[in-house]
Amino acid sequence: MNVARKQSCLHRKNGWDYLMIVAMAVFMIICVYPFWYVIVGSFNDGPNYMRGGVYLWPRQWSLQNYMVTLVDSRLWIGFRVTILRTVICTVTHVFFTAMVAYAMSRRDLPFRKAIYWYNMFTMFFGGGLIPFYILLKQLGLINTFWVYVIPGLYSVYNMIICSNYFHHSIPEEIHESAIMDGASEFRIFARLYLPLSTPVLATIALWVGVGHWNAFYDSMVYTTDRNLQTLQLYLYKMIKTSEFVSSADMGGLPGTVQQNITSTTVRYATIVVSTVPVMCVYPFLQRFLTKGIMIGSLKG
Amino acid sequence: MKQSLYSPRRKRFNWQIFVMAMAGVLFLFVFAYIPMAGIVIGFKDMDYSLNIMKDLYTKPFVGLNNFIKFVQDAQFRTVMTNTLALGLLELVFTFPLPVFFALMLNEIRNNRYRKVVQTSTIFPYFISWVVYGGIVNIFLSTDSGFVNNMLMDLHLIDNPIPFMSKSEYFYTVVIVSSAIKGMGWGAVIYIAAIAGVDQQIYEAAGIDGANRWQMAFHVTLPCILPTITVQLLLALSGILNSGFDRIYMLQNPLNLIRSEVLDTYIYKVGISQRRYSFVTAVGVFRSVISVVLLSTGNLLSKKLSGNGLF
Repeated sequence: MNVARKQSCLHRKNGWDYLMIVAMAVFMIICVYPFWYVIVGSFNDGPNYMRGGVYLWPRQWSLQNYMVTLVDSRLWIGFRVTILRTVICTVTHVFFTAMVAYAMSRRDLPFRKAIYWYNMFTMFFGGGLIPFYILLKQLGLINTFWVYVIPGLYSVYNMIICSNYFHHSIPEEIHESAIMDGASEFRIFARLYLPLSTPVLATIALWVGVGHWNAFYDSMVYTTDRNLQTLQLYLYKMIKTSEFVSSADMGGLPGTVQQNITSTTVRYATIVVSTVPVMCVYPFLQRFLTKGIMIGSLKG
Repeated sequence: MKQSLYSPRRKRFNWQIFVMAMAGVLFLFVFAYIPMAGIVIGFKDMDYSLNIMKDLYTKPFVGLNNFIKFVQDAQFRTVMTNTLALGLLELVFTFPLPVFFALMLNEIRNNRYRKVVQTSTIFPYFISWVVYGGIVNIFLSTDSGFVNNMLMDLHLIDNPIPFMSKSEYFYTVVIVSSAIKGMGWGAVIYIAAIAGVDQQIYEAAGIDGANRWQMAFHVTLPCILPTITVQLLLALSGILNSGFDRIYMLQNPLNLIRSEVLDTYIYKVGISQRRYSFVTAVGVFRSVISVVLLSTGNLLSKKLSGNGLF
């Protein structure tokens, strides 16, 4: 609670308050309106839309943009790859990173200082694109699904956040009593520390998950197989290049559809379809994020 | 530090956690340190190489040749100017915005409204740059794009402004769109910091007759300064990192002279043109500058304010 709010019952709103309320409304509109504009456009008839002036509500409703979007097989390939990688990568990343974090949070870890700096150094210095690419090639990861998973298994930044949490927020007594009971370190980590640190793990899972959902660089650089193309790469090609719905997929649609769409409105529909999952999940996740960033800002 | 009551006095080598930590060490060895060793590519002449693994051992060292080639490259000035200009503009305009936004949001007394504002301003952060950049392109298009339509309807301009195809507008487009996309999210950490400010300070300031404006700038702002410093240091070390996704999305052949930055340049020269040694050298050049920037910033901040990253 802050004083400004405590005083709210004592003071009447003044000009300053109204100014802030209006300013916030403006910020909100700037942030949200572009998406609304795209949603509205996606539900409007194509040729009609191109006459302009569709800002707040569709002028001539049409679902044909979506029909065209949804028949494109590449969209579904993209969805499959993206969902798979997001789920698999997030789970494995959180588990692996938390495991290392657990070890790093133990003060009796042998060579702790050295291992810590060994980790830190990689945050600030790296080999760059080509050496990394060659490495992936040598490991046989190029053009496989695992190129999305294995290099993203671990992150030093998340490890430090997680290990700070283990050290500061979980009582040492838990560890001691478990040791007394004869539990192994791994068991203590998996059965006690993991369930006890849901807030921080949820936060990290979110960061990683959103990152994977939105990633397209790795797909563009490390894969050429169109069956490994992520949703974002498909979107990229769709938005930036003139590459459009493949004619093979279009064949299944009635001829009238092709007259009632334009590339612009179909793009809108594709953007909406690909963003819907984020829009649905986002409001539920937001509270974790705000909680998590406070944990993250703690310094070890 | 927690001191346990029953801590065993004898120091025994804890194999179990050592193995767990080694899993991370091994991972970094493969995915961070081996590529670091790959930096030698930057000191050899392996451009357009067909068999990299063989050339890695057989090709002679050429010293700093690749670095000299980069500095003398026709593109060097363009790429460095754009990268630095965007980085600095970002520090000046994009960086302070979330701070002010957090301070302003703190002045909103209605909790429900605060929640709504926060939820909607954080939203763009979760959208990929592919989608967001696509929307920016749509919004600014000369062919019935929203902004041009609005400006023309209001009779502020007679002809559409070619935001995306004229290179002069590129910096503005990138900075403004990133500022909007990142503002709500960037503010979250400051809002958390503001929530942690000791209430007694406000009460004391109130008794001394400070108004809300003075409280915001003389109490809240100094109290969250450590958080701002840490964020600034992180931003500073990323000054040569323009964010590949957003630049790549907003770039087109017409604005290339202002939109080619190190990230996109490295991608094009390395992956499309296959100039392996050259591009590795460019990468090393960037890494070294970033490390120097970060350590200098950290040192300065420790000297001036007593807090740093490490």
